[in-house]
Amino acid sequence: MTETSGTDKTYIPLGLLTGSVGLLLLITGALGQWNGPLWIGIALLGFSLHNLTQDVKRLRDAIPETPVHLPVNIDEDSGFQEALSALPDPVLIVSGFEPHDIAGRWIVFANAAARTLFGITGDNSLLVSSMRNPQLLDAVDVALFDRQARHTSFETSGAQDQFWQAWTAPLPNPTGAKKLALVVIHDETDTRRIERMRADFLANASHELRTPLASVSGFIETLRGPAKDDPAARDKFLGIMAAQAERMGRLINDLLSLSRIEMNEHVPPAGEADLSSAVNDVMDTLSVLAREKNVALRVTGPATGLYRITADRDQIIQVIQNLSDNALKYSSAGAEVHIDIRINQTKEQANAVREPGAARLVLLKPDRTPQSSDLYTVIRVRDSGPGIRREFLPRLAERFYRVEGQKSGDRLGTGLGLAIVKHIINRHRGGLLVESVSHSPPGEKETLGVLPDAPRSDHATPPPVVPLETFTAFTAYFPQPRRFDVPPEPHAITES
Amino acid sequence: MNPHIVKTYGEELDQLSAEVILMGGLAEAQVADAVEAVARRDVALAQSVITRDHRLDELEKDIERKSIRLIALRQPMAADLRKTVAAMKISTSLERTGDLAKNIAKRAVIISEAEPMSPLTRSIERMGKLVSSRLRDVLDAYRSGKLDMAMTVWSSDTEVDEHYNALFRELLTYMMGDPRTISACTHILFMAKNLERIGDHATNIAEHIHYELTGEDYVEDRPKGTTV
Repeated sequence: MTETSGTDKTYIPLGLLTGSVGLLLLITGALGQWNGPLWIGIALLGFSLHNLTQDVKRLRDAIPETPVHLPVNIDEDSGFQEALSALPDPVLIVSGFEPHDIAGRWIVFANAAARTLFGITGDNSLLVSSMRNPQLLDAVDVALFDRQARHTSFETSGAQDQFWQAWTAPLPNPTGAKKLALVVIHDETDTRRIERMRADFLANASHELRTPLASVSGFIETLRGPAKDDPAARDKFLGIMAAQAERMGRLINDLLSLSRIEMNEHVPPAGEADLSSAVNDVMDTLSVLAREKNVALRVTGPATGLYRITADRDQIIQVIQNLSDNALKYSSAGAEVHIDIRINQTKEQANAVREPGAARLVLLKPDRTPQSSDLYTVIRVRDSGPGIRREFLPRLAERFYRVEGQKSGDRLGTGLGLAIVKHIINRHRGGLLVESVSHSPPGEKETLGVLPDAPRSDHATPPPVVPLETFTAFTAYFPQPRRFDVPPEPHAITES
Repeated sequence: MNPHIVKTYGEELDQLSAEVILMGGLAEAQVADAVEAVARRDVALAQSVITRDHRLDELEKDIERKSIRLIALRQPMAADLRKTVAAMKISTSLERTGDLAKNIAKRAVIISEAEPMSPLTRSIERMGKLVSSRLRDVLDAYRSGKLDMAMTVWSSDTEVDEHYNALFRELLTYMMGDPRTISACTHILFMAKNLERIGDHATNIAEHIHYELTGEDYVEDRPKGTTV
C-alpha cells in the first residue's frame, strides 16, 4: 500500500536531509566552543521543518486513496458498474490479503441494494464493520483464501426477521496481489416465512379448534342418543353448538388474517389513512354494542381528514377495532371508553408516562429506520375495566394468550386480537405500549411482582396512598411522513 | 507487492476493534443458535454451539494478547488507550456471553430428552429474541461509535427482567401442577437466568462503549426491575 509509483523516483526528501545535517551541526556547536555551527544548525533546522511538512504531504499523496482497484476495468467497460448497481439483489466484492488479518478485508464494491442492506456509506469500508455474521464471514474467507464457491444461509433479525442466502465465489485479480471474492445475496424471507407460517398455523389451528370441535361432536352424540326425543334439551344444545361453531368461524378468520398480516409484515404499507376518520368508522360499528352495554364512547383528537399517515387503512381500522373491542369487553355498565388521538408526537412523548403509578410495559418498539421526520401519530384507547396485573403484561400480545381469570365472559375472544394489533403496528414501524392498574387478588401478597415504576421526580412527591382507579390503556403510535401543521385549537370529533 | 507490510499503529488499532466486532458476531450467533436449539429441540445445533465456543475463547485471548502488546509497544494515549482497554473489557464480556450460550445449549440437549414443553420453550425463545436484539444493538453501537445507541441499550434492561419474572411465575405453576416436570423446568429456569445474565453483559458492553467514547465511567443508577 505504501509503495511509491514511478513518478516519485526522482523525489529527494529535502526536509529529512537538511534536518539531519542541521542537527549534526547543532550538536557539534553545542559540544564545542565555536558558536558558528550552532547558528547554522538552527537555521538549517528551521528550513528543514518547512520541508518536512511538504515531505509528509508528498508521502501522503503517494499512498493511493483506494486500497485496491477493481479487477475489471469497470470505468472503461461502462455499463458493467451500472448493471451491477441496478441489480435488485445485493452484490459485493471483497478484498483480502491474509487469512489472519481480519482488519485487512475491505468491501471494494457494493451495489445499491448491498449498501442499503448493510448500511455501507463510503467508497471503501471494512468488511467486519458492515457485517459480522460468522457464517457469512467464514464463507467469504473460503472464497478468498481456499478459492472455493459456497452457498450460505443467514438471518438478520430486527423488528422483522429476514432470511438471506449468500453465494460467495472467488474472483480472479490479474492486476494485483490482493485476493478478491464475490458475494451475491438473495432475499429468501418470503419462502422461509411461508414455511414457518404453515407449520405455526397448523399447530395453532389444530390446537385451538379442538376444544369447540370436541364440544360440538359431544352434543351431536347426545342429540343422537339420550336427548333424541327431548325438544327442550335439543333447542338448548343446538344453541350451544351454534355458539361453538360461530367461535370456530371467528377463530379461523382471525388465524387467517393473522397469517396474512405476518406474510406482509416486512413489506411497508403503501396507502394513506387518517386516524381520526378511521376511528369514526369504528365508532359507527361499535355504537350499537356500546349502547347495549351502556358504555360511553368518548373520542378526542384532531379534525378528521387532515392528518394522513402512510398506512394500510383496513389494517389501521382493524387495530382500532380490536383495541376498542377489548376495551368494551372489559367495561362494566356506566363506564367510559376513551379514545384519544394526538399528532406530531416524538417517540418520547408517545412513550411518556401519562398516568403515574400504573404498571406499564412497551410491547413493541419501532425499529430504527431512517424516517423523514421522527414524529408519530398516537392513538390511546383506555377503559375503566378491572385492569391487568403487572406480571401478565409481558405475554399480552402473544397469540392465544388469555390473562388468568379473564377466560370467562359473555363474548369469548379468540386470543388473537392483540397479536394481530401488534403485527399490524410492527408492519407500520410503529410502537405499542400498555398501561394498567389493577387490584391484587385478595389473599395474595405481591411478593414476586415488580413494583410499578415510581416516577423518579426530584421534588419529593409522596407516593399515592389512595388506591388508583383500575384501568387498562393501550397506546399505539404510527410514524408520520412529516410534521403536520396544527390549527391553534384542537377540537373533539364526536361525543356519544 | 509484499503482503507482509509493517503494520502501522492505526492499523493495529483497527485490527483490534475488527476482532472485537468479529467476536461480537460470533457471540451473537451463539446466543441465537442456542435459543433456536431450545425452541426447535435441535440437538445437533446445540452440539455445534457447544463445540464452537472455543473460537470465542481463542479470540478473547488473542485480543488480550494484542492489546497488551499494543500497550507495551505503542504506549497509546487518551482515546487510543481507552479504545484498547475497552476492546479488552468488551472481549471479556463477550466471552462470558459465549459461555452462557454454551450452557443454554448444554441444557437444551438435556431437556430435549424430556417431553416437549412448548409454552415454556416459547417463552425462552421470546426472551432470547429480546436479549439477542439488545446484543445486536450494542454491537451496532460499538461498530458505529454511537453513544446514544449504546445508552438506549443500557437503559432498557427492565424489559428483560420483566420477561424473566413472568417466566419464573409460569415455571412455578408448572412445577406445582406436575412435579414430574421439575427437572426440565429447573433447566429452563437456568436458561432464563443465563439469558438475563447475557442481557446484563450487553449493558456492561454499553458501559465500556461509554467509557471508550467519553473517557468517563457511567455512574448513574440503571433502571432495574427486581429479579429473583
